[in-house]
Amino acid sequence: MKIGLEIHVQLPTKSKMFCSCPTTDAPAPNTHVCPTCLGMPGSRPVLNREVLVCGIKLAKMLGCKVADTTWFSRKTYFYPDMSKSVQITQYDHPIGVGGVVYLNGKPIRITRIHLEEDPGKTKRTSDMHALVDYNRSGIPLAEIVTEPDLATPAEARAFLAQLIGDIKHTLDLGENSERSIRCDCNISVGKERCEIKNVTGLKNVETALTYEMVRQIKILKAGGKIERATMNFDESRGVTYGARKKEFEADYGYIDEPDLGIFHIKALADSITIKEAPAKMIPRIADQYGIDQKMAKQLVSTSTDLALFFETVAGKYGKDLAVKWVAGPVTSNWKRFEERGGSTDGILEIIGRFAAGSINDSECGIEIKAFMTGESAEAAAESSAGLETLINEFLDANPKIVDDYGKGNVKAANSVIGHVKKNTGGQYSSADVVETAKRLIEARLS
Amino acid sequence: MSDADTLSKLSKLNEKYQMFNDFCRDGELGDAKFLFSAKDNLTSEEYETCAGSRILGGYRPIFDATSIAKLKAAGGKLVGKTNMDEFGFGTFSANSGFGIPRNPFDLSRSCGGSSGGSACAAAVLDDHISLGVSTGGSICCPASFCGTYGIVPSYGRVSRYGLIDYGNSLDKIGILSVDPKQMTKYLPIIAGKDKEDPTSCVQPELKITHKKMKSVAVPREAVEGIAKDVLEAFNKALEDLKSMGIDVEYVDMPELKYAMPAYYILATSEASTNLARYVGMRYGQQEGDLTLGFDDYFTSFRTEYFGDEAKRRILLGTYTRMEGFRDRYYAKALQVRLVVIDAYKKMFQQHDAVLTPTMPFVSPKFDDISRMTPVESYKADFLTVPANLAGTPHLNCPCGYNADGMPIGMQFVSDHWNEDVLLTMAEEWDKQFEVRKAEVSL
Repeated sequence: MKIGLEIHVQLPTKSKMFCSCPTTDAPAPNTHVCPTCLGMPGSRPVLNREVLVCGIKLAKMLGCKVADTTWFSRKTYFYPDMSKSVQITQYDHPIGVGGVVYLNGKPIRITRIHLEEDPGKTKRTSDMHALVDYNRSGIPLAEIVTEPDLATPAEARAFLAQLIGDIKHTLDLGENSERSIRCDCNISVGKERCEIKNVTGLKNVETALTYEMVRQIKILKAGGKIERATMNFDESRGVTYGARKKEFEADYGYIDEPDLGIFHIKALADSITIKEAPAKMIPRIADQYGIDQKMAKQLVSTSTDLALFFETVAGKYGKDLAVKWVAGPVTSNWKRFEERGGSTDGILEIIGRFAAGSINDSECGIEIKAFMTGESAEAAAESSAGLETLINEFLDANPKIVDDYGKGNVKAANSVIGHVKKNTGGQYSSADVVETAKRLIEARLS
Repeated sequence: MSDADTLSKLSKLNEKYQMFNDFCRDGELGDAKFLFSAKDNLTSEEYETCAGSRILGGYRPIFDATSIAKLKAAGGKLVGKTNMDEFGFGTFSANSGFGIPRNPFDLSRSCGGSSGGSACAAAVLDDHISLGVSTGGSICCPASFCGTYGIVPSYGRVSRYGLIDYGNSLDKIGILSVDPKQMTKYLPIIAGKDKEDPTSCVQPELKITHKKMKSVAVPREAVEGIAKDVLEAFNKALEDLKSMGIDVEYVDMPELKYAMPAYYILATSEASTNLARYVGMRYGQQEGDLTLGFDDYFTSFRTEYFGDEAKRRILLGTYTRMEGFRDRYYAKALQVRLVVIDAYKKMFQQHDAVLTPTMPFVSPKFDDISRMTPVESYKADFLTVPANLAGTPHLNCPCGYNADGMPIGMQFVSDHWNEDVLLTMAEEWDKQFEVRKAEVSL
């Protein structure tokens, strides 16, 4: 089975792609509009340069070759929410081609990434009526097209989840920022493929692909033939339904967009460096510092800043101390530390004193916690001591946990959580408990 | 003359010549420094803007085209929107959804096209300038047929913001007038960079230095198949130019013959995408059968309100960019355009301008036009198309009259951004050639 995705991502620019209308949520339908995004006669597009910058960043993130010159094309089709009946997109010379992304070590090839404008939205109000809202018309999109390298619907979903994380990271979008991601999913069980248009959200992508996979398998088993087609996905029923005969891309009669000209972007592209995407960071850190993938993933998924701090400590005091302290107490206190907003220099200084031998193991743990949470050292010591006592008692009573852990069952430490929670309520965070438990277990093992 | 008299005269002239789609019927002219008109594919807030198409019937834009706004800012009063072939599709202004402008020298003949109404207004109104638009010859042709001057600047010289597109890579806004000094005065005003039109933002400044033309090249290919009366007037003009101290040299420009097919491919490809937006939604005509699905509604609308020539060009343009034909036609035409530009550049290494007759014949009678096939009428543009394809500035100068008193024009083409040499040529020519005013009787 082969699955390929065409992923549409809205780019986080302040104004639309070809006019100065805002991209923020509009107070009412058809309020964030102007002659250009309404396609009024005589209006014309002026490119928002920020769109190129976002496109270049994403192209680099995907490992694509960024074009030296790029331009736009007109794709002609008739639909009420397409104000010009022409979409300005890229055809001949997209901003990036030929990339690759690794999903748990498996290469997923990226065919291309191009920039285009979003159409408006059509809302059916009855059988006979529909309303069109052009607020979305002209919002910049990047379309990322993969090769059919994904093997299962679940893999497609995992790929998308990773991609979304990487995009947010690369474009500096908040962890919780809503990014509208729409996907056209191509799937072929046999020879001919079908495309499911416009699927929104991770879960729907997996559901739609699974439904379509089963549909195709049934047809083939019955000796039938799959016809190339475009399907729609009904979210509420979780089914795909057809279908019109698939158009081929070239049927849209592309011509160059004469109003925008050619963009020479080599200098711009050279001047843009991007932050390492989380998906690339995990295997690199694991590899570079000889730690396991899970620990690297834990660091990166907690925060890429935490992962970078791990590298700083490893660089300065060696990998073992980085594992001991950064993957340990620093990780478990990171969320609170981030909320308070502080500098990691203080943590570095504490670890430095430990490395120099001026403080001991438990002092270092207490100081880090106190520094990161803003608690007093006494309170930190007390709660830490309280927690340690509680855990030690539990371990004394259940030596099997230590044995199991020693045999490589790291999850054994998790059983401590239930015990601590039962005795203390929500006083300690799970991360804190597990981290402390691991430390104490490891102390008993060594 | 009082404002009322001026406007009443305007109204009477329009009745006779049908040069306007919408025009100033009442009100005051205020302290306008000058009056001007503009082709009806340039948007204006105070008049309907229909681009000659019934599909835009009743359309009132919400913004002024940059060229119109600039003339208004310079103290001009826009008095009318001039009639034209639908979206610029034609050579005789006979493809308009709103009547056909009449030639001021002979009412049974065409004003030329597609800026026919503009040429007519420039010819019959006193001290008037009219904004025209040229895609493949739509300023020089009507200027030639109506005996006026007409300047088409370099592509990108005048902002196209507010121009209802025909072929975006070809459209140029220019000026028609019987007085070359007016063109020299107002072209720099409408020229210049405009952030609303990125293609206007690469131009060097338009400086009027009154640089005189010293040498012109006349392609042999351009005087083949020309009507006898036109050729006689043209040859006479060549002698006059020589007596003005200008070298005239016959040259070969075999590339010119490729311009016509390349032009029609590019122009119709772009036009067919530009016209896709007219579907009976959002603006213009919108009274349709709402029980239809959107596809059928759009189709019924386009069937009803587009004229035959618009439909023909949509079909042609859709065909040339179709899968399987795109490379053979559209992509090849883009290459031919570069070949034609190169051919001109070669000429401009030794000459200030390339000179040809403007049209191969004087304005035909409407009876004859109605018998012409589309290809015959396309071919009438073979002298004006190459410069338009190349985006080089060009100028029509009246250069003679035939036995029936119909005007004949010649066309100078200069290098990109060299409008100066054309404007100066027009002024010099005007000193020694007497432009006949059409006899206007009301």
